[in-house]
Amino acid sequence: MADWNAYYQKEDDEVEQEEGEESAGDYKNSGRDSLVFLVDASKEMFIKGEDGEPSNFDMTIQCVRSVYTSKIISSDKDLVALVFYGTEQSKNPRNSFKHVYIYHDLDCPGARRVQDLDGLREEKGARLAAEIMGSGETSLGDALWCCSNLFSDMKLRLSHKRLMIFTCRDDPHGGDGARDRQARTKAADLKETGVVIDLMHLTKPGGFDVSLFFCDIVSPPEDESELGLQLEPCGKLEDLKKRVRAKEMKKRAQSRLTFSLGDGMNIAVGVYVLARTATKPPAVRLYSETNEPVRTKTRLFHTQHGSLLLPSDTKRAQVYGNKQIVMEKGEVDEIKKFSDPGLVLIGFKPMSCLKLHHHIRPALFIFPEEEQVTGNSCVFTALLQKCSERDVFALCKLTPRINTPPRFVALVPQREVLDSSQVQAAPPGFHAIFLPYADDIRTLDVHECPTANDEQVDKMKQIVHKLRFRYRSDAFENPVLQQHYRNLEALALDLLAPEAIEDFTMPKLNMMDDRLGSLAQEFKDLVYPANYNPDSKTAAKRKPAEAGGAVPKKPKVEISEDELRAHVAKGTLGKLTVPVLKDACKQFGVQTTGTKKQELIDALTAQLDK
Amino acid sequence: MDVGFSMTNSGPGLEPPFEQAKKVIQKFIQRQVFAESKDELGLVLFGTDRTKNPLAEDGQYQNISIYRHLMIPDFELLEEIEHQLQPDNQHADWLDALVVCMDLLQKETMGKKYERLNIALLTDLSTPACADQLDIIIGNLKKAGITLQFFLPFPVDADAEADGAGDGASQRHPPPGGKGLSREQKQGLDMVRQILTSLDDEDGLEEVHSFSDAMEKLSIFKPIERRPMAWPCQLTIGSSISIRIVGYKAVCEEKVKKSWAVVEAESHHKDDVKRETVFCLNDDNETEVEKEKTIQGFRYGSDIVPFSKVDQDQMKYKSDGKCFAVLGFTKQETICRHHFMGSQVIKVFAPKDDEHAGVALSSLIRALDSLKMAAIVRYAYDRRSNPQVGAAFPCIKKRYECLLYVQLPYMEDLRQFTFPSLENNKKFAPSETQLSAADALISSMMLVREDEDGEKEDIFKVNSIPNPQFQRLFQCLHHRGVNPGTALPPIDPWLRRMLDRPQAVSACCQGPLQEMKRRFPLKEVLHKKEQKTSAHVFGNSDDPDAKKLKIDEQDKFSLGEISEGNVTSVGSVNPAKDFHTLIQQKTIPFDQACEQLTRRIEQLLGNRSTEYYMKTITCVQAFREQAIKTSNAELFNNYMQSLKKGVPDRNLQEFWDLLVQDALTLISKDEEEGSSVSKQEACQFLLFEEKMEEVATPPPEDGGDVDDLLDMM
Repeated sequence: MADWNAYYQKEDDEVEQEEGEESAGDYKNSGRDSLVFLVDASKEMFIKGEDGEPSNFDMTIQCVRSVYTSKIISSDKDLVALVFYGTEQSKNPRNSFKHVYIYHDLDCPGARRVQDLDGLREEKGARLAAEIMGSGETSLGDALWCCSNLFSDMKLRLSHKRLMIFTCRDDPHGGDGARDRQARTKAADLKETGVVIDLMHLTKPGGFDVSLFFCDIVSPPEDESELGLQLEPCGKLEDLKKRVRAKEMKKRAQSRLTFSLGDGMNIAVGVYVLARTATKPPAVRLYSETNEPVRTKTRLFHTQHGSLLLPSDTKRAQVYGNKQIVMEKGEVDEIKKFSDPGLVLIGFKPMSCLKLHHHIRPALFIFPEEEQVTGNSCVFTALLQKCSERDVFALCKLTPRINTPPRFVALVPQREVLDSSQVQAAPPGFHAIFLPYADDIRTLDVHECPTANDEQVDKMKQIVHKLRFRYRSDAFENPVLQQHYRNLEALALDLLAPEAIEDFTMPKLNMMDDRLGSLAQEFKDLVYPANYNPDSKTAAKRKPAEAGGAVPKKPKVEISEDELRAHVAKGTLGKLTVPVLKDACKQFGVQTTGTKKQELIDALTAQLDK
Repeated sequence: MDVGFSMTNSGPGLEPPFEQAKKVIQKFIQRQVFAESKDELGLVLFGTDRTKNPLAEDGQYQNISIYRHLMIPDFELLEEIEHQLQPDNQHADWLDALVVCMDLLQKETMGKKYERLNIALLTDLSTPACADQLDIIIGNLKKAGITLQFFLPFPVDADAEADGAGDGASQRHPPPGGKGLSREQKQGLDMVRQILTSLDDEDGLEEVHSFSDAMEKLSIFKPIERRPMAWPCQLTIGSSISIRIVGYKAVCEEKVKKSWAVVEAESHHKDDVKRETVFCLNDDNETEVEKEKTIQGFRYGSDIVPFSKVDQDQMKYKSDGKCFAVLGFTKQETICRHHFMGSQVIKVFAPKDDEHAGVALSSLIRALDSLKMAAIVRYAYDRRSNPQVGAAFPCIKKRYECLLYVQLPYMEDLRQFTFPSLENNKKFAPSETQLSAADALISSMMLVREDEDGEKEDIFKVNSIPNPQFQRLFQCLHHRGVNPGTALPPIDPWLRRMLDRPQAVSACCQGPLQEMKRRFPLKEVLHKKEQKTSAHVFGNSDDPDAKKLKIDEQDKFSLGEISEGNVTSVGSVNPAKDFHTLIQQKTIPFDQACEQLTRRIEQLLGNRSTEYYMKTITCVQAFREQAIKTSNAELFNNYMQSLKKGVPDRNLQEFWDLLVQDALTLISKDEEEGSSVSKQEACQFLLFEEKMEEVATPPPEDGGDVDDLLDMM
């Protein structure tokens, strides 16, 4: 078992570390993710839905666009291509494939490409598409072949290859057996080379029958269940986006760990990050003459003789109690080591022990790794099922990597949840919630506050009732990030002004006020006295102090003129404190500009020497 | 502290009270030092040979000396205690010592602001004390508001037990001294009781601690103190309702306050080290450019957009100041626990002095609580900070009510991964017996247990465990501070224990664990699917032998490695050495290192002079060595083939002769299993003759160009 004990880090969970960067230390995972959109451009795709609903083609393009922009934000090193099939015109290397149009070659998406896609949207987009590509015969085999060339011509090493087919035709070749066969063979070839083929089937009058043809084309689902193909076709853009988003990113374990239950019983689990604060990527330094990126090198110098310092010429130090304590760099790291990386089960606790305020950082997700040890998933599933049934969580000690002190986590069971169209809404596994140590909980001096009476509470209940909505975790876009990328987009495309963003984090005041109507005033009448203004905070703040009878901070130190003169004569004014000097200045009507002690002394001396 | 004669007495095999008391004091001071507390501290010894205190007159207050006046404790004090504090041969009245302490406190706190005066008395009470003045002393203590703590070598109820339960009991529970208490000690204890109960009627005796008890408590370093910062703001609902609130950080991952400064290894001076950051172009020469000649840019997918700071500031999202605005209300269950973002929990109260705000906030808290709802709010700390969307949950406690605010994710923060189904998958579905084994395991490992009275007890409270990182850091700092030049100590056993599964649980779960092991067969997959990454292709990392080798090497080379500094690429000065280092440190993949090395070789060969040839030879040697070590014979052999092809064209015959001299030929099968070259072929390889074309190993790629070969990698 020692072998899968070997821990390696897949992705650093330090927020500071840039995510997309292929870190130099970890090369096991280098290589790019790639994704090809293979979109049907036949006439059927352009038929508009009833009630002015967008055509399948339009929906697909919007969906592809959203993938492009999200790739730009979250993983800008990934490669994406857009290929149309069933076109009249052809555009591919050497034009060896008829009716296949490579719109975007496999590359990182950029501003230009996003703009291209915008051109294909809606009515005028459909016209443009008809103009440059047209709709013609279909040979999915050729299209697949062309895509496979895209993958194989790639000079970069690809770590994950995925192909998504968007179509609304379940029988693309109209019963042409030879072409069907060719497509099947080509699809098999692709799958052989590690390409995962997904079908994003769209609505078709009379229903889309996957079993007719496409069941032989697409890759079997990961878990070999029959779930994959029973999917309903996507009718709505939201659904399509969701389905695409679930597939477009290759899920990656942040790390693989052993989960030891005790007594030598170990299972292997992967640790995944399902939520992490997306931040603005760090700025790149560019050479102003060529706009090419520059690299930074940091070097250490000896201040006195200017020689380069190697890391071995330095040590680390901290000062405590007037003493400098020095350690080697290695020792500093060693101090952080408690045990080897892993997840150790301590015991179980009822869910009620996990309090809302037990939160110090975003949770991780734990899923079994069946690849290395068989039987893993079975143990895991049994634990998951039982924990969930008994409403308990597993308390574990987590050492995420070498030289990292342990943290305790609550493994909260999560059963699989499917949404109405059988898409996984929540994956099965354990959420690892980080628990605070004693040091992380601050003591606040709480004060008792008056409590509200039932009438006041009831009024608030009405307000709450009026402003109810259903919270969805993906409902809010980060306005700061969005604005940043719009700005970049505008600069990259030489737009006059960036596209305006909608800030979903702002309260919709008008709507809220409308809904509340007179309730707001009624509530205020109930809780606030007539002259109370919660917005004037300064006025309210001062009040209690005045009411308390103006307790002076310090008794004023009066100093007699004689004493003062004595001090001036002896030149010992400096012995007095600043407040005393200030008071003295006031007393003698001395105008001072400064508040520094020397200035006060000078002013006083000048006055009294007269 | 009592350093008198009796403090050195102890039963066989037990630590004398003096040593225990010394440790208590050390631990106490250590805590103060590392918490960087501003509390001042003095040390008075009694039972000393010398007498040094201002009250000593006419034979009064003898054998008491003030060791340290009131000041902020520092390392010097710790060192002095460690090395200088010795037991003396006298004894002194502990009440006298108490008076000296009171005098010290009173005189030295004059004119200073203080919150609390406290005297901690460490003694074994073996010296008879003169009780005449007891009432006056108590009176003075009360008047000055000084609190008292006693630290004794035995628990306070030790004598009660011995007296009441007779001999049988006292033998079963021998007091820590190993012998019963002496008459003096009993008398002393009575006096202690008298003092403490008259100072504080009820809880007085709680201030008597035994040394061992105190040690345990003091071993834990004080948590770093932080004053909670108030964040005043207004909670708004719509445009017309606003409630004044104050937020406090309630839970937040505490980091070590101090960071490590980089100091020069010899002088230990921080100022001797200067950090310099330079910018350089991404070309071969790493041309440096001045900072002024660089501008800021951002990546937008494949594009890099120059975007100056000024422009950025002008165009960036602007938020309009601090804000706690309700966007709406939602059922608590729609907010997933695992979607909590950010690194803190904020508690929101009404301001202390504003009862109207208190009532308004209270009505919101109570309304939310009874409806099981939460408020979704936009939160912005101030004008410069980014706005968050978060949830404010109602929280009603016995003593107070508040809102708990936690950040929620933005759409960009979430990753919608789809995982294979577990329960709907026949392959993974556990059987009934397996499920019951898991069930039994859970039952045996419950950390919250109910006792007979139905009261629940949590035997593993994470939130009362001190962060082990701090404990360990301070332990090591203290050790290094007091004993410079010695190796760091191992982790304290009590700390380890605190982090492990409680004894009670591990005893209970043995059976169920065995059952689990029986019920769930775990099998390692033998044919491990190789990941297709360079590391695997060149097979140097998952091979257990290679790993062992790696570890060995690391041990061996660790010193060399440190002096090596950070080698990040194969330089031109000493390419072979750089190459070695790179391979050992695994800074870059093997193939990349080889690529860099071969590039250097080509560069060197371009010079066509013997001196450079020698250097080149060492490079080839290094390449060959590492290739064998890491089972990458093919890589080396391919390169050699292409090199050989170039010899006639590039006029490198002289170089080739050097290779022949050193017998640097292809790696044969005998040397490395992965090679497809036989020994004979390897020998023939070096011979330059017409037969060259017939050399058995056909080069895999026709063009002998190095670049092609590199592409192949």
